[in-house]
Amino acid sequence: MPEQTGRRDFLRKSMAALSGLAVTGGTIAACTGKAKPQVQGKLLGPSFKAGHLLRKGINVVPTETEEQEVVIVGGGASGLAAARWLKKHSDKNILLLELENETGGNSAAGKNEQTAYPWGAHYLPLPNNSFTELLDFLQETNVITGYDAKGLPIYNEYYLCFDPEERLYINNYWQEGLVPRWGVPENDLQQIERFQQLTEELKQAKGIDGKYAFDIPVDHSSADAQYRDLDQLTMLEWLQQHELTSEYLHWYVDYACRDDFGSALAHTSAWAGIHYFASRKAEASNSEPHRILTWPEGNNWLVQRLRESCTDRIRTNAMVYRVGEQDGKVAVDYMDLRTQKYKRILAEQCIMATPQFVNQRLLSALPELLSTRNLQSFEYVPWLVANLTLKDVPHGKGLSLCWDNVIYGSKSLGYVYANHQQVALFPEKKTITFYHALADEAPAAARGKAYGSSYEDWKAVVLQELEKAHPGIQEQVEQLDVWVWGHGMIYPKPGFIWSEDRQQAGAPYQNKLYFAHTDLSGISVFEEAFYRGITAARQLLNTERA
Amino acid sequence: MRINVKALLLFSVFVVATCGLIYELVAGTLASYLLGDSVTQFSTIIGVYLFSMGIGSYLSKFFNRNLIAWFIQIEVLVAVVGGLSSTILFLLFNHVASFRIVLYMLVSLTGILVGLEIPLIMRILEDRFEFKDLVSKVFTFDYIGALLASVVFPLLLVPYLGLLRTSYFFGLMNAGVALWLCFFFSKEISWTRYLKTTCIAAIALLVAGFILSDRITSFTESMAYADKIVYSVQSPYQRVVLTKNEREMRLFLNGNLQFSSADEYRYHEALVHPGLNAVPNPKRVLVLGGGDGLAVREILRYPSVEKITLVDLDPEVTKIFKSHASLVALNKEALLSEKVEIINADAFQWLRSNRQQYDFVVIDFPDPSNYSIGKLYSNVFYRLLDSALTPNGKVVIQATSPFVAPKSYWCVVNTLESCGFTTLPYHAHVPSFGDWGFVLAQRNPNWQFNTRYPKDLKFLDAATFTQMTVFPKDMPIVKTEVNKLNNQVLVHYFEEEWAQFVN
Repeated sequence: MPEQTGRRDFLRKSMAALSGLAVTGGTIAACTGKAKPQVQGKLLGPSFKAGHLLRKGINVVPTETEEQEVVIVGGGASGLAAARWLKKHSDKNILLLELENETGGNSAAGKNEQTAYPWGAHYLPLPNNSFTELLDFLQETNVITGYDAKGLPIYNEYYLCFDPEERLYINNYWQEGLVPRWGVPENDLQQIERFQQLTEELKQAKGIDGKYAFDIPVDHSSADAQYRDLDQLTMLEWLQQHELTSEYLHWYVDYACRDDFGSALAHTSAWAGIHYFASRKAEASNSEPHRILTWPEGNNWLVQRLRESCTDRIRTNAMVYRVGEQDGKVAVDYMDLRTQKYKRILAEQCIMATPQFVNQRLLSALPELLSTRNLQSFEYVPWLVANLTLKDVPHGKGLSLCWDNVIYGSKSLGYVYANHQQVALFPEKKTITFYHALADEAPAAARGKAYGSSYEDWKAVVLQELEKAHPGIQEQVEQLDVWVWGHGMIYPKPGFIWSEDRQQAGAPYQNKLYFAHTDLSGISVFEEAFYRGITAARQLLNTERA
Repeated sequence: MRINVKALLLFSVFVVATCGLIYELVAGTLASYLLGDSVTQFSTIIGVYLFSMGIGSYLSKFFNRNLIAWFIQIEVLVAVVGGLSSTILFLLFNHVASFRIVLYMLVSLTGILVGLEIPLIMRILEDRFEFKDLVSKVFTFDYIGALLASVVFPLLLVPYLGLLRTSYFFGLMNAGVALWLCFFFSKEISWTRYLKTTCIAAIALLVAGFILSDRITSFTESMAYADKIVYSVQSPYQRVVLTKNEREMRLFLNGNLQFSSADEYRYHEALVHPGLNAVPNPKRVLVLGGGDGLAVREILRYPSVEKITLVDLDPEVTKIFKSHASLVALNKEALLSEKVEIINADAFQWLRSNRQQYDFVVIDFPDPSNYSIGKLYSNVFYRLLDSALTPNGKVVIQATSPFVAPKSYWCVVNTLESCGFTTLPYHAHVPSFGDWGFVLAQRNPNWQFNTRYPKDLKFLDAATFTQMTVFPKDMPIVKTEVNKLNNQVLVHYFEEEWAQFVN
């Protein structure tokens, strides 16, 4: 509510003026002097030092060697999903090596006195009911509490996003939902509606092979050329082809591309852009289909559940720097970052749950493998995530604070309210997670700039964006921490998703090496990570049977 | 010419005196209005004001030159400070922790400035009168001014202008006199242009305030109460205000009426007795919300009850209902009973961790007017409630007005039913609220009521309760969705229905 802050500001100034005038003003002056809060915070991110070491290259050949049956390199969602699958469906002895202090990858989370909050992935849309492996996992973890008579999943209502879910700040007003409506001219509204009809049709569309044109996992989508060819276009071109020119619509679709892929409308594959709108076909017993599952700590809740299946088989702070061959086995060399010791594990089989830009370095000892793959074509968008602890989130005109709060016209993605999924009525302090994909430059250039920016630079970016919708929010901020993901998400540039490069990079190598990472799907979402994990695990198990 | 000067200066004495007393009266009235206890407020305000005038008189000796210019300058300051004082106090009331400091600061500032004026004017006039005439004339006009102020203030100003406009009006008088003096003495005084500018600026400001005072008033909820405020406090969760007139006391939370002492017995008897009376030999009772202890007062009529657990979020509410004399009299010391355990906690969180089972649960939450409170009416909450009931336990829920907000009311009923409860909707007429709805719920599909009610109830008996379960033709059952955390339909219904009613 701008008037309210205006009023507060006026009051504060009149107080200051009064205290200047008055003889006894000393006490008041002392009070108002305290009112200017100091924003505290720090800059965080995945291990920069390890990244640097890896880029430089390590040539040490470890002398200490041990043997393991299966090694999984990387403890993000896909690595953990692979580990869970192997635990559940085989008696393989596994060992998971994780570079960071914690597993979870992009689903990292933090915690303050009031609430947990995400540092990355923060929600799971209700999954398609055809993705039974994922539904089983959700039932196992009590996210699905059962199925109704029609066979539809019943979701745990503590995990379904509470209402109100989303609001958009547009024309000085918080409207419900993210599709621009408030004060939007009729012609634009019509275009938005036509866009929604088009994507709704594409949601139901099937190719000649009988598969959905757009499905999750991506690889279950139809091979029909009429759909796959959309990958050659940018999302902007596709909109233009359909004479969808509304500025409001373009902002909305641009927001969607940034939200899911971290890339702008003009640089995102149309296939990927449409996939955002047309791939989710969930049906639930107790929720509308388009709703989402979330937790205060975001998807960290999910990766913690995945982790529970293999907690005792994880080594953290283990920086793998080379994966090669020795005596017909996979030799995994890593440095224990705690003890600074180098070790080699000889494994029967290995799952690389690492992104391809890392594999490019780790697998340099296997030139015949690298020569068949073009890992260079995998590009990644850097992301900025900030968590702010506030005394309060300033009110505005329109809908009250929602789970997701987006500012129209902004290139940032707005913020998510971490306390939203708590049942407490009046949290003492509020934590919001601000997301910003650095999508306005080529990924490598944006990354270079990101690594060169200081905490103060980022703080200014975050506050400037938030001030647009919340004048005076600075005064509410007590803590503002920033996390920079140099390689936040795989970038679905035009032509990438249905490229040979993507297919080849996921192919197993000599029944020994298997690959599991969301970049192999071209889209960085939990479902794909989960799918990639179980796909690699299944390949590994099937080979053995054969 | 000479006579004119004298007359003008004596006229300013008169205006200064009138205005000075008006500011004092405004401050006293405001203080007793906002803080209650008018005797204390008036005494302390008058004391501080007079004392500050003394300080002003003392300080006057440090003014040695340009006396007329200084007089005009002080006059402008009095105009601005006095004119704005009531607005500042109203606006700050809800926003500063130590309202009293601001209040007394403003009072003493005004007092000091007014205290400076009379000595200064006496010195300006000293060459123009003989000393005995001077003293006699100045004080005569001073006291006449005071009389005028004290008569017009209660009879004309407060009823017709209101406190804010009164302050602005007298501020304008002060500033007007200052401007007049500026023109009159423009040849004799230094800094004329500066003084004229400040006079005009002050007049512009005060005129703006005078015109805008209605809007300023609507800004300040404090004016919303018809009666005298006898207690008010801002807790971390809400503003608690207690008002009183000859007939009744009213409690407001964030400006919403919670009860009137004149008819709250109807509400609380209807809330508690139908359900509790139907539980054979109740021992443990849980009250969620209801920090006023009035439901607890009714529960304590049942000697078999051994323990009452009261969970209310706001310690400020339970505190005043344990300590404020007239409130303790109203709830008959219910919250001081040994049987009562008070827990200041968030009901949802508390219920999630609760393992105890209760024979009867009273739910007296605020109406579902926002998404936070809406959670307390969700199916998830009612499922938690289910596990807090003994096998034959019952629960009653206040569920807003089935007349004004039928969808909201039946949504509560339907949400309870969706969680496997059998419900019994009923309603009662509470004059302060209108037709008010309650829902009884239990697991057992059959209802059995006890027709013998506690003896000394003022409102409820078996025949009345039978009537209460009848919904007349203009209040039919309405189909609604179930209120869930992920749809919050109740908040939507409630907003829609009450918005219509208010418009």
